[in-house]
Amino acid sequence: MSSSPLASATSGKRVLSGPAIAGLALAALLAVALPAFTTGYVIYIANLLLVFVVLCLGLHVVIGENGQFSMAHAAFYGIGIYASALANRAVDLPYPFAMLFGALVAGIVGLFIGALALRMRDIYLALATFAFGEAMQWVFANWDSVTNGPNGLRISPARFGPLEILSDKQAYPFVLFFCLLMIGVTVAISRSRLGRSFRAVRESEVAAMAMGIDVRRTRVVAFGLSAAIAGFAGGMFGLFQTFIHPDSLGFQTTILVLTMVVVGGLGSIAGAIGGAIVFGLISEVLRQAPQYQEIIYGGILILFMMYAPRGLFVFIGDRIREVRHGR
Amino acid sequence: MKTNGIVRGLTLAGGLLMGLAAGAQEPGVTDKAIKIGIFGPLSGQNMAYGFDVVNAAKMYYDKINKDGGIHGRKIEYVVEDDRCNANDLVAAVKKLVEQENVFMLNGGSCSAAVVAAKDYIVRNKVPYLMLNASGDGALFPPTDYIFGAFSISQYAVGGAMVEFAAKSLGAKTVAYINHDDAYGAWNLEGSKKDAEVNGVKLVVESVNPTINDVTAPFLKLRAANPDAILLVTYARPAALLIKKAAELGFNKPIILSVTGTASLNQLVGNVGKDALKNFYTQEVMIDSPGGDKLKPIYDMYKAAYPDLAAKPDHPQTYMPYGIPPAMSLVKALQDAGPNPTREKVLAALKTQDFDSGVMAGRLQFGPQQRAANRSTIFIKYDGTTMAPLPGVFTSRWTYEAK
Repeated sequence: MSSSPLASATSGKRVLSGPAIAGLALAALLAVALPAFTTGYVIYIANLLLVFVVLCLGLHVVIGENGQFSMAHAAFYGIGIYASALANRAVDLPYPFAMLFGALVAGIVGLFIGALALRMRDIYLALATFAFGEAMQWVFANWDSVTNGPNGLRISPARFGPLEILSDKQAYPFVLFFCLLMIGVTVAISRSRLGRSFRAVRESEVAAMAMGIDVRRTRVVAFGLSAAIAGFAGGMFGLFQTFIHPDSLGFQTTILVLTMVVVGGLGSIAGAIGGAIVFGLISEVLRQAPQYQEIIYGGILILFMMYAPRGLFVFIGDRIREVRHGR
Repeated sequence: MKTNGIVRGLTLAGGLLMGLAAGAQEPGVTDKAIKIGIFGPLSGQNMAYGFDVVNAAKMYYDKINKDGGIHGRKIEYVVEDDRCNANDLVAAVKKLVEQENVFMLNGGSCSAAVVAAKDYIVRNKVPYLMLNASGDGALFPPTDYIFGAFSISQYAVGGAMVEFAAKSLGAKTVAYINHDDAYGAWNLEGSKKDAEVNGVKLVVESVNPTINDVTAPFLKLRAANPDAILLVTYARPAALLIKKAAELGFNKPIILSVTGTASLNQLVGNVGKDALKNFYTQEVMIDSPGGDKLKPIYDMYKAAYPDLAAKPDHPQTYMPYGIPPAMSLVKALQDAGPNPTREKVLAALKTQDFDSGVMAGRLQFGPQQRAANRSTIFIKYDGTTMAPLPGVFTSRWTYEAK
């Protein structure tokens, strides 16, 4: 019934059907043309969703690809935000380099956490990473000299050469570009030898070891890469947002990203992207119904878990196949 | 004569056209209405800070509309939920400004979240009055567009307490306990001027908001033999310190800041009545919540929201806080005249000075002053009875550019 580790580990490549390619092309066209026909508010939401897409990709690497449970994603995201903002402010680093610096710092911390995680599994790992996330939020809130503590940190506008980003519409092409770049990076990782190692370890560590995979190294690298991607998302946030407060980097953010990844479909890049967009939009739409939003939000989650436990995209794919086969 | 007539006619037409053009440039203003954007936490765990505050502001605008509006225009409001979260608050503000095209903004109950919208509001030159957020981080250094702290500025909380301790209790040495964070630094900074003018010696001890054992800081302060203790902290350290004082037989006055508890009943539950024998609490409103002086506001709420008022937890404690910012907005629009522009409203706000009848002191802005309220009253509380004491105590703190 279940596939072998090797088969599962190599199942990263999928051929897209004609309608899927057409749909993707339409979505790409819409994404590129969005600023031309909509307001700054819509672009702000789009920017935020694209940041969440990258955050979800990061979590996908460690949970979806490698099967390790992490509850510290908001912390890595926060490290990326603070590190890139401070690099930009302190040494006037060109913003793309500041973003890379944010990703690097988050990645290094991720490697460290990954090394600690080697001794833990499942609920213990979840609790340990949760504790790290809480500790980092405390650091953001109390390391006054660096993070400006509970005052929050003002992020200087990003600069690309002579261009200073002062609006959501100006930031959007860059945010979109970096999001597409990170999707490409994640796909490349997934299809690489490293990605196959991730999945092999996820399916069976014993089988992976038998195939010559260094399980410990693979697990640590998965954590590091996941954190680096989250840190990069933090840098993207600084492209259009001028303020960060430690309150925004708590457990709620981690749970939101985890929900997006699970709802989209654990283990699938399309699921991580779709989950971020669909659930991000639901959250924004529900802001219009404050009296009922918690009930609706909870209801949607329960329905997803009941009827689409393998994720939104698998659910849609199954329904399309059923229609095609006349069932 | 004929030429003069033509010139006059052209001038009049030109003037009208310019007037129309100017009017057309003002977002959210029509002949019949002025559109404003309200936002606050209407859902989630922080709803208690803003839900009824928003309702209070809405009912005040409804009352103004019922009374004829402002220079013949009704106030049309659009309400957004900001969830007390920076990202959501910025989304709400951007939606109100760019999609709803509001003339000005009135919102925000959470200080940390409102600061996130500061740059956007300044860049877009939108007049913004906070609801009940102190929002000092967005108010100082002052900008031309953001006004707030209708509840009270963090800078003024401690200063008003020092004034009370000195003038009403005759204290000369005061133990001052604040947080070891930015808020603690702000209120201590604001208190220094009041201490200096009143000849009060401040013995300061800064504690972490999540502190579990307050024995060491309390003993340190008691060793200074203070005439009173000022607790400028949140509920948790405050309750621990009050309890510790009772355990160690400290019987001098303890004065609790407005930030120290959201519910006095809960405080009694935590510390016991015996710990409150010589206890005073700070209040930013003219009376204790539900008190006689605030009765018209509570009656207005009952009339506007009969279904909500029938629920046991409504109106929420902070409900009256929604009235003063709404008053300020209405006053600024009235002062801006029959052809309001954002510049005129901002100019009116910068010189605003009025008594709301809700807050303890006058609400005042100035060339550099963006925090409306710096005054409080004090209430003697023994665990059962609340007795407001005479006098309004105003912090002497004013913003000085560094």
